[in-house]
Amino acid sequence: MKAVQALLAQPGVLLVLKTLASLVGVLLVVQLARWMNLGGDVRIRDEDHAGALADEAMCGFVPVAVGLDKARIGALVRDAQGRVMLIRRHGSHFAARLLENHAGVRLDQHFLTVATGDSRFGTVTLNLGPEAQAWAASLRRLEG
Amino acid sequence: MTPDIHPFDIVTYAVPFFILAMVAEMAWARRRAPEAYEPRDTWTSLALGLGSTVAGALTAGVVYAVAMALYQHRVATVPFAWWAWIACFALDDFNYYWAHRTGHRIRWFWASHVNHHSSQHYNLSTALRQTWTGFVALSFVFRIWPALLGFHPAMLVTVGGVNLVYQFWIHTEAIGRMPRWFEAVFNTPSHHRVHHATNPVYLDRNYAGALIVWDRLFRTFQPELDGERIRYGIVRQLGTFGVMWSVFHEWAGMLKDFAVAPLRYKLAYLVREPGWSHDGSRDTSDRIRERWRERQDGAARAGPRD
Repeated sequence: MKAVQALLAQPGVLLVLKTLASLVGVLLVVQLARWMNLGGDVRIRDEDHAGALADEAMCGFVPVAVGLDKARIGALVRDAQGRVMLIRRHGSHFAARLLENHAGVRLDQHFLTVATGDSRFGTVTLNLGPEAQAWAASLRRLEG
Repeated sequence: MTPDIHPFDIVTYAVPFFILAMVAEMAWARRRAPEAYEPRDTWTSLALGLGSTVAGALTAGVVYAVAMALYQHRVATVPFAWWAWIACFALDDFNYYWAHRTGHRIRWFWASHVNHHSSQHYNLSTALRQTWTGFVALSFVFRIWPALLGFHPAMLVTVGGVNLVYQFWIHTEAIGRMPRWFEAVFNTPSHHRVHHATNPVYLDRNYAGALIVWDRLFRTFQPELDGERIRYGIVRQLGTFGVMWSVFHEWAGMLKDFAVAPLRYKLAYLVREPGWSHDGSRDTSDRIRERWRERQDGAARAGPRD
């Protein structure tokens, strides 16, 4: 008992123990959320939904063209000014980035891979079907 | 002479309640809309909360020592009487309002506070999504100056803890609106949902801690609108659940801007509002709201279409 008390009296020991106990608590809560089957498989419903997501990401962004991924997990939207926005699923929500240049854009038949320059946002590959080539051409017009 | 008094750590005692409430909210979410609750986001929020308590514990001694140093130079001595506790709580909440407001309006403080807002979800785990860098940002300065008036630092820390615990329960969608008298005086889930929203009409509103009266007084109050679906998070959503990037992304962005900006604009990237840029290429919340209002006005002028 005295040994335990002496250990706890050491600087930092109590903080480390409290932190470890809290970490266990955090992991249990997160695991419980998984056991309860929380979380979902959200998709972009249609072009209107993609447009609404674009407006949410940038107030006033009005799409004139929408390229929906076949699995509806992402989309490209272009407005009248020629700005192109990439939308992709993020958990049970969506996140978007305005594309600033065509670096990192690769076309492979119906698949268009787009890198945003934001490594944390990641690179997104969209299955745009036959429209992929037109979107690739559209992205090439962005500054290099 | 300085009385030897220690703060009461209410936050530690509240932890079991936090956990039980989160579990109850998860059960509620499971019945209502399980797809809307994201366990990965909960992990990020709780990891940020855990890191925040460690960062707080490591720096609390310094903050308390500074507060005690101020207390040595106090102009009066406030007793530990019931009315003093109430006065201290109200003053601390007033200070919280201004600390919080600057946390949204000055990028240096926003770099620290943005952690709390970077979730696209709004649930009780979001309440624990706290900063790791509050000490670096020096935001504690807003809360310790009453020691100069004669409030003992132990009293300040205790009421600060009560304020923090109060703010836990308002981070939920499970509670609609409280009775009108309560909504008029206190910060509530409804008021705070507005604060966490990215809808243009809601940006930079409702900075209150426990008492919403400060927002009403300083004209930053915005009620929750029934027809406006709330979107949570930040204007440029993170798009990642990475813990370290969630903590440091705004510091990294700000320091990068500072490094590359022309000399005359460098300081402005630290002290102007988030989204400000010297070439006007980015959006501040004021600009976003302005653009949104123009669209609303335009739609209203166009009138209803058959």
